[in-house]
Order: sequence, then C-alpha cells, then structure tokens
Amino acid sequence: MIREYTAPSVRRRKSRVRWTIHLFPIPALIIYGLFVLYPILAALSYSFFEWKGMARGDFIGFQNFVTLFTTEPYGSMFWNAFKHNVLYFVVQMIVMNGLAFFLAFIIYQKIKGAEFFKAAFFLPRLLSVIVVGFLWKLILNPNFGTLNVILEKLGLETLQKAWLGDPNTALIAIILVNCWFGLGFGVLIFLAGFQGIPSELVEAAKLDGAKGFTLLRTIYLPLMVPSIMIMGILTFIQSFEAFELVYAMQGSMGEPYYSTDTLAVFFYRLAFGSSTASGATAIGLGSALATVLFLFILVCTTLFLRFTNKKNVQM
Amino acid sequence: MRQKSKWLLLLLLLLVVGLVGCNTNEKITTSTTPDNEEKSKTEEVSLTIGSWRTEDVAKYEKVIALFNAQHPEIHVSFNPTKNTEYNTVLNTALQAGEGPDIFHLRPYAAGLKLAEAGYVEKINSLNGLNVFPEEALQASRDDQGNQYGVPINLSSTQFFYNKKIFKDNNLEIPTTWDEFIALNDQLLEKGITPIAMGTKEGWLLSLLHGIVGPAVYEGNDFYQAVLAGEKDFTDPKFIESIQVMNDLKKYFPVNSEGLGMDDIRTLFALEDAAMFPLGSWEIPVVLEMNPDLDLGYFPIPSKESNTTVTTWVDGSFAINANSKNKEAAKVFLEFLTTKEFGDLFVKEFSMISAIPGITSDDALLNAISHSTANEATPYMWVTNFTGGDPTTKSLLESELQGMYLGQVTPEEVATKVQENAKTWFTPFQK
Repeated sequence: MIREYTAPSVRRRKSRVRWTIHLFPIPALIIYGLFVLYPILAALSYSFFEWKGMARGDFIGFQNFVTLFTTEPYGSMFWNAFKHNVLYFVVQMIVMNGLAFFLAFIIYQKIKGAEFFKAAFFLPRLLSVIVVGFLWKLILNPNFGTLNVILEKLGLETLQKAWLGDPNTALIAIILVNCWFGLGFGVLIFLAGFQGIPSELVEAAKLDGAKGFTLLRTIYLPLMVPSIMIMGILTFIQSFEAFELVYAMQGSMGEPYYSTDTLAVFFYRLAFGSSTASGATAIGLGSALATVLFLFILVCTTLFLRFTNKKNVQM
Repeated sequence: MRQKSKWLLLLLLLLVVGLVGCNTNEKITTSTTPDNEEKSKTEEVSLTIGSWRTEDVAKYEKVIALFNAQHPEIHVSFNPTKNTEYNTVLNTALQAGEGPDIFHLRPYAAGLKLAEAGYVEKINSLNGLNVFPEEALQASRDDQGNQYGVPINLSSTQFFYNKKIFKDNNLEIPTTWDEFIALNDQLLEKGITPIAMGTKEGWLLSLLHGIVGPAVYEGNDFYQAVLAGEKDFTDPKFIESIQVMNDLKKYFPVNSEGLGMDDIRTLFALEDAAMFPLGSWEIPVVLEMNPDLDLGYFPIPSKESNTTVTTWVDGSFAINANSKNKEAAKVFLEFLTTKEFGDLFVKEFSMISAIPGITSDDALLNAISHSTANEATPYMWVTNFTGGDPTTKSLLESELQGMYLGQVTPEEVATKVQENAKTWFTPFQK
C-alpha cells in the first residue's frame, strides 16, 4: 500500500477528530448503562442483603446464594427448574431448529410459493406470546379443546389426555408450542444462510458429481455452521430465559406440581410473589437466582462464541 | 484502537460509579415528609385509590358519587390494576415512595408485610372502626395492635348447588357428612358430575380444603387448638382431612387434573355439574353466564353434624404512608365505615359487607351473610398461614396437586405442611 503524505497540521486536526469521536457513544452508553447495566448491578447488590418483604435489611454476604442451593425447598426447586430449562433447550434445538433447517432448505430449492411459505411459517411470531398461550390453552383443553376432539373423531380416545394438567405432558406441550411459535424465525435465519452460500461452490460440487445427501453433507452443512451456531446461541439464551409462555399457560407456580417450572418462572415467584398465593416475596433470594442465571448464560454464551469463532477461522 | 477501548472503558467506569453512587442515596424505609401543607376545609383535594378490582370501576363510581354528596371538596379517582399484577405494581410504586393515596390492602400477612415495611399509615384513632367485629379488624392489624385498614367485605366459601338438578333427582341438602357422601354417590350413579372442581390451579385446592377440612377436623375446635399450639398438622384428624380431599376426586369431572377455574365455572353454570365448592364472589359471575341457573348453597355438614361456611376478610382499604393528602384520605376511610356505604356496597357489589347487620335484597346473599355470622369457621390458610417462604398456603397447594397426581401421599402432604409451618408459625415452635 502506498502511504499518502499528510501535512503535520492536518495530522493534528485528524487526531483531534479522533479524540472527540469518542464522545459520540455517550448518549447510547448512558441509555445502555441506565437500562441494562444498572438493573444488573442493582440485582447483584440486592442479592447480598437480607430482605423483609420490600424493605432492605442488613448486608449478609453470600447467605442468599447458600440458602438458594442448600435450603429446602429452594435447592430442589432450583435443580428441578434447571432440568426443565435443559430439556427446553434440547427439544428446541432438535425439533424447532431441525425442522426450520429442513424447511429453509426446501424453500431454498426455489419451490413454487416459496414467499408464501416463508410468510406462513413466520406468521405465529407476529402474535403476542400471551395470545399464543391463550390459543393453545384452548386447543389443549381436556374436555372441549380441539386436539382432544380431533382425537375422538379419529377414534383415538385412548390418546386423549389433560395435556396441560398431566405432569408427563405439560412441559413438553409448552415446549412444542414454543417451537411452533419460533419456527419461522429459524427458517428466516437458515434461509439467509443458504442464500449466502456462493453459487459457484454448489455448481462446482455438482459438476464433480455431488448430489442429494452428499451435497448437503459436504457443501451446505459446513457452510451453514455460522447460521447454526447463531440459532444455537439464540435458542440457548431463549431456553434459559423461558418465561412468558409458561406463565401464560400455567401461571407462576409451574403447575401442575412444579412440572413446568423454569428458572425464570422460579425467579418471578421468588422476587414478585406468586400471583395466586397472596404475594409473599423473597427479593434477596430472587436477586441471587437472577445473578446465578445471568452468570450461567454469560459464561455459556461466551464459551459458545469462542468455539464458533475458532470454527470460522478453520473455514 | 487500543486508545479507543481505553476511553470506552473509562466512560463505562464513570457511568457505573455514578450509578452506584445514586444507588447509595436511595432509601427504602418510610419517608417522613412533614405535613407542611396545611389544608383548609374548603380547599379542593384529589385522592387516588389503587385496587385489584378492575371489574368494579363502575360500582366504585357510585360509591364516590355518594361520598361526594357529603364531601364535594374531595375528588376521588379509582385506578385499579389487574388482579394478578396488583401486588407487583403496588409494591414497586410504594418502594419508589409513590403509589395511590388509598389502596386496597390484601388481607392478613400479605398486607401486613407492607405495613411492616412502613408503607401503610396507622389509623388506630379513625372514627367508625368500632362498628366492626374483632375478627374483621384482625385482617389488617399487626401484633402490636396497630390498625392499618378498614375492612370492606367478607368472603365466604361453601358448596353451591344446582337446585334444579337436586329437585329432578329427588335429592336433599345434606345435613350429615354421610349424607353428603351418599349424595355424591347418587349423582355419580345417575351419570351427573357431582362436584365441579379441577386440580390444575393450586389455589382451588387450598380453597376446597378450606371448605371440606373443617368438616373432617371439626373446624373451630381444631383451629383454636392450632393457634394455641396444642395441635398441629401431624394430627390424625388433619391427615384424614387431606385423605378426604383425595377421596373426593372420584366426584370431580373427567380430566379434572387439566381443569382450571374457567372450566369448572363453565361446567357448573351450564348445568353439567351439580355442585360447585367456591366463594361468594362467584355468584354474580355464574349468574351472568346463565341467568336461569337456580342457584342455592349449603354449609358443609361435619362428621359430628356441625355445619360451617368458611369466611375471611377479603380486602381492606388503607392509606399510603407517603400520601400528601392523608387527612382527606382519612375522611374517605371514615366514610367506608358508615351504614350508607354498607347499604350501597351490598346493593351494588353483591358481596357481603364487613359491617354487621347490613342486608340486601338478594335472598341468597343474605342467607350466606347470615351463615357467616352464625356458623363461620375462619379460612385458616388465608387468615393464619400466608407466612413462610414459600408460604404455607402455597406449599399446601402444590403438595395437594402432587397428591392428586399420585406423586405424594396424604401423610406426606401433612408432614411437608407441618415442616413448613414450623419454620415460622410461633405456636408450633413452643
């Protein structure tokens, strides 16, 4: 590269410009600090205090964290909810992202009505989660819900269930509703990924005789790794923050019998009191849980990103 | 590049230090704003009321109109929040030193927690409080005897029944426990769902236990013994009451584990079930769904043939300790103790007034109101067991749900409830 000659005065002005340029992020940083950093730090600080209802008591160090993990019923509630979050993640990764990948691949093949399908898959995403929860609650209602009525019409009465009342099916039902809800977003991300693959590569591979599954495995899949990783991270964060749909469909107690409890619902119950049980709150414990959850997501996401970056370099 | 990140870091640090600095100035204790604004009688004042009764806006407008007939200088506006969000909204506002001048106080421990935190004004010397019976005042009175709220309405839970279904099948109101069980069996034989109840929502379970439990352990005797610390939840009678809850499941609708409040209300209102164990507040809702429903109620007969309905104070009105218009708020609260308000309340709200001796034109409500005065047992889970973390009440709810799903036995439910109560309920710690 040829370096241009610049006069000293110009250089000085440039450096002043460089200096003042750092002031421009301040408004954004203030907003970020006020609405993101401050609440996080506040929650962190709350978790080190004793709380009597809404009034802050003495500084008690890590006592809230110790209580959260060692005192019953909090300890078992935490791990119970944690397991549900893991299941949430696994099922969403396999069912939602798997299906989204598959559908995106089909749409990418330039089938007829691709635009229509893209919009159709994305449509549920435009509904509010509360509406989604309400609709599916109706569909899954044991005595007059559509699902059980269809099963009856098909002569499959034996399969009828109180889907949301049976602890064996309630959580998985909610996760699948969430998959239905989030499918369109995955399709869009994957479709963008497919469309970003240089067509020369695909053509070259085809000329070499690759087709069908081989083409998918050797060309598409490796080049789709960035998209898959992005969806993985987003799904991970969303799974561990899962709250709205559970709350909309089962309330804040993770009913029935904690079988749909997630960490965020557990947090809500601790910090704000359950909506039905007269609103007793444990802000210290709630803040401790929020801190643990935040650190867990932060650490996992960072590791995940590290891993992805390395992968990208390899490519 | 390196310099840029240094700058960013510095800015960030400044921001954080600044914010943390702000935080240390924040106090979450009672503010003691001196009442320096002397208000003359004629000066106009505006009051706001916070509540969880979004469905009562039109009714409260009538209350306010009646109040303004006496006190035109005080403008009152009723600003309710959705029931399930009320606690959060109110708590957050109070914490910030704001909130409505007057607010609907949750009964018993939940409301007293706010008082303990210093957000609620003491109203020990309020005129008119003496009209209320002790039990009603206790709903918003702390251990030191400070009064924080004016009780508004009593709630009562009992079995409602469909008079037509009973008549068509020649069934009578049960007067003994055995008759009650026989009644259920007869209905079941005839293919009618005896009891509209679902186990999907925990609060329905503690509510059902509040009705059925006293019939098994002889309500008031056991309650007094529990308060005195003489008996606890390991008592065989209490375990039996949980067992009875489990036994009643066969009288619930199909798929009862998946049914919630809306489902069971619909079942009963559309005459698909004969009985509906729920609260007095459901009367107008059920009748709105089906105006032709011939609705009756009966107090549950106990094993020793006593009869009980389960009652508690459902809400009180209290004054925000940070309100700038405390004097005007007190005038409004005094109005809530008058007979004029009581009469309007039962007429407009179809609820049981906490002021004794108020009657309405509604025969059913009057009868229930009479029962609450003569054969009441307290709804123990609400009146005394909303303490603990999680509260004993909500633990009972989850464990009963577990029992209905076959995951815990009645004995285990009782043990867990006892273990929880023991951690905070002082009579059990003796």
